[in-house]
Formats: sequence, C-alpha cells, structure tokens
Amino acid sequence: MDKSMEKINIVKLLIYLLVFIVVVFFMILFVIVPNVKDYRASKSVHKTAFVHKMRVENVLSERKKEFSNLNSENRRAITSFVHKFSEDNFISYAGKFFKKVSFIEIAKKAYKKEFVEYELKVSTSLKSPTNFYKFLDGLNRYENIIQADFPILMESNSSKITATFTIKVYDINSTK
Amino acid sequence: MYHGKTRGFIVKLSFIAPRKKHLFSMFTKVWIFFIFFIFVFLNVFNLFIMYKNSDYKSNAKNLDTQRAVLEKNIDNIDDKISFVLRQKAVAEEIYANNTILKDSIKNLFDLVPDQITLSKVIMKKDTLVIYGITPTKDVYNFLLAAPLKSIFHTSNTMFYLSSDGWYHFVSTNRIIDPEEVK
Repeated sequence: MDKSMEKINIVKLLIYLLVFIVVVFFMILFVIVPNVKDYRASKSVHKTAFVHKMRVENVLSERKKEFSNLNSENRRAITSFVHKFSEDNFISYAGKFFKKVSFIEIAKKAYKKEFVEYELKVSTSLKSPTNFYKFLDGLNRYENIIQADFPILMESNSSKITATFTIKVYDINSTK
Repeated sequence: MYHGKTRGFIVKLSFIAPRKKHLFSMFTKVWIFFIFFIFVFLNVFNLFIMYKNSDYKSNAKNLDTQRAVLEKNIDNIDDKISFVLRQKAVAEEIYANNTILKDSIKNLFDLVPDQITLSKVIMKKDTLVIYGITPTKDVYNFLLAAPLKSIFHTSNTMFYLSSDGWYHFVSTNRIIDPEEVK
C-alpha cells in the first residue's frame, strides 16, 4: 500500500506548499491583479457613461416636454405663420369692415432670417373710424400674421372716409 | 522478497501480493491535483473578469454612441424650440404693434373736439399731419393744439380763412427720434 498519505514527508510537503504558494502568488500578482484593475477602471468608465447618458436622456425628455408645451401654447402663431396668405380671404375679411377693398403688393423681403415679409398697400373706404379699430382688433385673430402699419392716410369726402394704409404679411420662408 | 525452490515449484514466499509501483505517490498526486485545480480555478476566475471587463467596455461604448444620438436629438429640439420662440416673439411683437396702432388712432380721434372737423389725416411713423376746419383759432389752440403739443416734440399749424369765416388748418406734428438726434 502507498503509505505516502499516512507518513507525510515534511520536506515534500514544504516543497509542494512552496510550489503552490508560488503558483498562486504569480497567478494573482501577474494575471489577476492587472485584470482586476482593468475591470475596475472599465466599470467606473461604464458607470460614468451610464450616468452621463441618463442625464442626457433626462435633459432630452425635459426639452421634449418644453417643446410640446411651447408648441401647444403657440399653436395659433405657428399655424398662422405656415398659413399661406390668400388675397381673396383677406378681401372677404376686410369686407366685413370696409366698403371697398383693393390692394397692391409693394415689396417682398426677408425678415429676421426665417420669415418673409410681404408689404401691401390697401385702399379702402369706410363709414366711420370705428370700423377701422374693429378691423385692427380682428387682425390679431386673423389666419395669417398681419401687421397694419404706417403710413396711414385717411381722407373724408362728403359721406365716406377713404383710408389707405400698409399691411405687412409675415410667413415662414418656404425655401428654408 | 525471497523465491525458494521446493519440489520443482517456484513458491512465492512473500506474504503480500506484489503492488504496482506508481510514478507518483498518492501524496504527490493529491498535491499536483490540488495545485492544478487552483490554477484552473484562478484561470476561470480570470477569464470571468476579462469577460466582464470587455462586457463593460462594449456597454460603455454603446452608451456613448446612444448618448451622442440623444445629444444630437437635443440639438435638434433646441433648434425647434428657439424657432418656436422666435415665431412667438415676432407674432407677439406684431400683435402689440397692431394694438398700439389701434390705440393711437383711437386716441387721435378722441382728441379731436366736436367743434373741429378733420378732413384729412396722414400718419407716418414719426409725423402726423392733420387737415381740418375749426370755427375759431382759439378753439383749435385750446382744444387740439395743446394736447398735440404735449404728445409731439414739434407742432406747427397754418391757418387759412375760408369764405364762410371758419378756418382751414394744417397741423404738422413730429416726434423726434432720440437716436436721430445723436
């Protein structure tokens, strides 16, 4: 029978123990420790990337919310800017306040980068100046963004007032 | 071990059966196995760490690319937001201008007393020219000239006597733009 297990040779034991310790030591020191260091580094990199992404994600969702809020708050302005100016619609709107409406386009130019400004000279005749106030009031609820502007000329003849004024129609530059 | 010859037979004199001689003793085997086992175990552990390491690395890379996409989205949405804000600002400015224009025309007509009749009004950005008829110069001076003077920087009036004794007047009023003075 092999009695090596019963009568343990101390020298052999010590040699094996030494070999064992050396193997474990080398494995840990030269293989596992550098890898663990690397692992820790990439773990912290991962954590930073994750946190960073979460923050960016939160910012994005906030902005999305802000955008949709702004969009719904300013729906009227946005749709009015997109709406194409129709001369017929404007004449029928102005016809509610004035007797005779005619206009000619004077200028078309870019306004503040994204917008186009059409300048139109409007000639009308009206019964009383009150109609002009009502027209200006209603202009702020019109389907397009329109500004009534100077020069305004009002002249009263025997029974009616003729008024000539400028309107500026703004819409979004369609080429953009 | 001893082998003797008895009656022509070879007799085994050993009391125990011959045993196989092993290259390594049990003790050595146990140790070698143990050391090998530990070596394998450490290697497996190492491989696991390497796997986790590369997993983290590729995940971090993924997160970075995702973040870049999100950042681009933020830029896009920021552009959209600022565009909406610009539209809002322009629309509000225009609406405010319309309201101001309406108020200033209303104020002008409210200013004119019943005795005076206007025949023509020319409004420009900084000038107001009024043509009209007044019964007397005093009526004009007290009821219309005074408020006009308080609104405009310069106010000049010319009178023409008409055939029926009333006065035709032309009032030219001007607001001097402070930037223009500079």
